[in-house]
Amino acid sequence: MREPNAVDFWRGLALVTIFVNHIPGNTFERYTYSQYGISDAAELFVFLAGWSIGIATRNRDGSPEPRLKTVLRLMSRTIEVYRAQITTMALALGMIAGTALVLDNPLLLEWHNAGGFFADPIQTMVGFVLLTHQLGFFNILPLYVVLLGIAPVFVLIGRVSRLAALLLSFSLYAASLVFEWNLPSWPGEGDWFFDPFCWQLLLVLGFTMQDFSRTSSWLKRWSRRFVPLGVVIVLTGIVLSVLELRPDPLLVPDPRLVFTFDKTYLSPARVIHFLGVLLAFQTLYAFLAPRLGWITAFLASLGRNSLAVFSIGSLLSLAAQLVRFWTGGGVVVDVFVVGFGLFALGFTAWFVEWRSRKPRLSSP
Amino acid sequence: MALPQAAALLTLSLALLCHLGGGGVCAQEPAAHQDPAKVGSPPPTVVSPPSVAVAGQGADAEAVDVTLSPECRVPGSKLYTLARLGAVKAALKEKRPVRVLAIGASTMGLGSSATYPVKLETALERSLPDVDVVVESRGLQGEIASGAGERLRSMVAELEPDLVIWQVGSHDALARVDLDAFGTALDETVQWIKGHEIDVVLVSPVYTASLAADDYYTSLVRKVQEVALREGVPLVQRYEAMRYLARRNDKGEGHLLGSQFRLNDLGLRCMAEHVTRAITLSLLQPDPASTGSAGRPALTLAPPKDSAGAKAAPAPAGP
Repeated sequence: MREPNAVDFWRGLALVTIFVNHIPGNTFERYTYSQYGISDAAELFVFLAGWSIGIATRNRDGSPEPRLKTVLRLMSRTIEVYRAQITTMALALGMIAGTALVLDNPLLLEWHNAGGFFADPIQTMVGFVLLTHQLGFFNILPLYVVLLGIAPVFVLIGRVSRLAALLLSFSLYAASLVFEWNLPSWPGEGDWFFDPFCWQLLLVLGFTMQDFSRTSSWLKRWSRRFVPLGVVIVLTGIVLSVLELRPDPLLVPDPRLVFTFDKTYLSPARVIHFLGVLLAFQTLYAFLAPRLGWITAFLASLGRNSLAVFSIGSLLSLAAQLVRFWTGGGVVVDVFVVGFGLFALGFTAWFVEWRSRKPRLSSP
Repeated sequence: MALPQAAALLTLSLALLCHLGGGGVCAQEPAAHQDPAKVGSPPPTVVSPPSVAVAGQGADAEAVDVTLSPECRVPGSKLYTLARLGAVKAALKEKRPVRVLAIGASTMGLGSSATYPVKLETALERSLPDVDVVVESRGLQGEIASGAGERLRSMVAELEPDLVIWQVGSHDALARVDLDAFGTALDETVQWIKGHEIDVVLVSPVYTASLAADDYYTSLVRKVQEVALREGVPLVQRYEAMRYLARRNDKGEGHLLGSQFRLNDLGLRCMAEHVTRAITLSLLQPDPASTGSAGRPALTLAPPKDSAGAKAAPAPAGP
């Protein structure tokens, strides 16, 4: 178990934010930072995933591990994430169907894109294992599966030239924005909620920046100088989101996605805002960590076990949604479901670490 | 003890038969399987099929809309409020294909050949002869009150349709979002769509017995009606229509597990027809006087009775 660090801390915060934001309508939703900016926790999560790849694919002394080992490591992680997605989706569908039966309420079957599974199970089952049928709020892990799947390409190119990896990544991003490339949803029409061709940019940015900051102090020096720019961007984001000012997608010039604030295609405004957030908050951890006490340890423990915490978190959000619907919601219910959820997230992190620490019991 | 179980078994097998055999069997199913369970209590209505006749002669004074297929027949006032559809009319006038974007939670039906968008396209082309209708469908995740309106704008910008058919409110109801926030966001989004010379048809959320006495839910359904009236857009009252179908088919089977699910299924099957009916009749609405059509939408409702009904409804259903 590693000591709390900035990456785990911020990833823990992103996980908590995603958990709270995935209970729509709840009282605490308006207190998460996602409500006060153009980008949100999803960007942070993907960027930090890239940063972690940078750390994971090198030895302690900074020398790169053998190429084959890197490919196998990323492949094994891809399988792990795929397994998590299939498991959580299956449990989620069971929870939705079970609640609909218990409450004798078919409205629940219309829960964010679950209807297809119940109305058209033959095709949807295929889409389910292919990740082309995604439930609302359960669409980050499919993105993550694709990103980890293509990550070896970028990591290996990055070993030769960081600039080449960045250029390739940016070209794919720009082309997808202009030509609206995305993976299709099936069955049902439309595309993925998170376009992997666009979102890969954040992953690649994450691990190249990690690599760069490891080898030279240039990045650190210059990013310190640009803190004021970051603050300006963050303040602009607050003003725009509080006043709900955003471009009208039918009035902007072509290519439309370059100018809108689109989440699916990670429009440039979101990337710029996210980079602004990075600049503004880069040194905050060193300031906060000693002052927050157990909160630092709590968030870092979530971040260390992000996949397990994220999976349980998405199921807890769904459970919270169902409880809110059943009880009618309200502040008391919100305090209970969010409070219980945070406790359960912490327990999940502790449990995963306990399980890996304890001596393996002989299986029967 | 034994009788309800036998009835349940029969219902199940009939439901299965209904799924396998298509629409014909299903229409009579509720009337047919009731007899065993009903021994002892007087039957509320004439039992023998066809159920259309039952509804026609029943308590409801108003005749059902006989242009609909038997299992989906509902009186017009229960089913829709009408308003002008300028953009679709313009497309018809220019003799170009009508592009429709169907948005909603449950955009699918039973089996690949019978999905809602496919049915909708077929039904619209049947009722508008010589017109090419292209239906695109999209699921819309999230709540109108928090961000889904924004995603809807992106979809509309991507597809640039003439008409948006929007099943609205289910997700907001599930999240129990603040009703005023919901109403305001819906108003804004509908205004935005109309502001870009695109027509909107709203479809209200489903009716189900366990929510009939839920004040929040009925208020949300009413909110959708209010917005449709205020913005002058046609509304397909799925809630009212399904409540009507539920009453028509209700032969005391409320205790059977899954009866609400079968009603929901029927509602889904009928939706394409109901939406098509509302659109076809809305297209027959006269054009408003040219003055003042830019700001306040000139609202033309079908018979005045409809709008009155829309405002008063939906009172929580009786037992």
